[in-house]
Amino acid sequence: MDAITQAKWDKVAPNFDVMAGRGAEDRWQPSKETLFSHMEGKILFLALGTGLDIPTFPNGKTITAIDISSKMLEVAQPRLAAYDGEIQAQLMDVHDMSFEDNSFDQVFTSCTFCSVPRPVDGLRQLRRVLKPGGELFMFEHTGSSYYPFKSMMNLMTILTSKIGPDMNRTTVANVEEAGFQLREVNNLFLDVVKIIKAVNPC
Amino acid sequence: MDSRLYFVFGDLAGNVLVGLLVGWLCWAIVGTGWNMFFTMLFTMAVGMIVGLVLFFPLGILFGAMEVMLPLMFTGMVSGMVVGMWCAMAPIGAATASFYGAICGLVCIVAIWVINTALRGPRTYGTEERS
Repeated sequence: MDAITQAKWDKVAPNFDVMAGRGAEDRWQPSKETLFSHMEGKILFLALGTGLDIPTFPNGKTITAIDISSKMLEVAQPRLAAYDGEIQAQLMDVHDMSFEDNSFDQVFTSCTFCSVPRPVDGLRQLRRVLKPGGELFMFEHTGSSYYPFKSMMNLMTILTSKIGPDMNRTTVANVEEAGFQLREVNNLFLDVVKIIKAVNPC
Repeated sequence: MDSRLYFVFGDLAGNVLVGLLVGWLCWAIVGTGWNMFFTMLFTMAVGMIVGLVLFFPLGILFGAMEVMLPLMFTGMVSGMVVGMWCAMAPIGAATASFYGAICGLVCIVAIWVINTALRGPRTYGTEERS
């Protein structure tokens, strides 16, 4: 377990819902509901956090969810209890997952790979636990390719990486570098907030 | 950009507010005769900081990246325009604030236009990217 990352997210857990709460979740709700409506089979949800995404999950699913922060999972308990389905929340680092190879049909992430310290390694771990032909669905914010947004996000990352996420990640390139085959990249806001769909090649 | 009115008016009001504040700050800080290049860099930085500070309360209400980037962009542009104007000629506080607010309006409309061009899906085939 990456103790530094764990401590960082444990520290922000009590105030996380205020910082990342209503505005972003309300704005992203329709897109997330559409993305998560693809859930079927054996599902891994990466970085459950305080469970802000749970209300956008379709009912009646059985989902394995992991997070690196025990404090985040504590805050998530009421949302886990309210879900009309089954979510098995586990304390786990994406770099060091205890699941066997080829365990899942689908992996979902939501604003996760801005915070994973070694994103390509983390994505390779996701490939390992995904069955061949399994699907990766990501709702992520990334860096921008366009000036002045690119410079702004590089500047912001100097500040935000100390307390939370990086703003300038190249997540689409990382997905390909990890060996996934891209299926779709859907820009929701500029080229910053996006949905990425990829498959684990057979 | 989100077409729901709550977010449209939120984005609009937030950017106009940041532009107005940055315009007023430029009037308060910059003196006539300041070096133009220095003033441009300085007021752009001030504007981005103001945008960033106001992102925290406005972001809770209206979103994350969709609020942060436009506010910083507005801060940068209104700081540059009004700051350089203040360095060139004496203007009043109301005029500086008004043109800062206009910059905010122009910036959020520009972001909407850029977003319309960039948003949407791009699909990839198994052999060939489209």
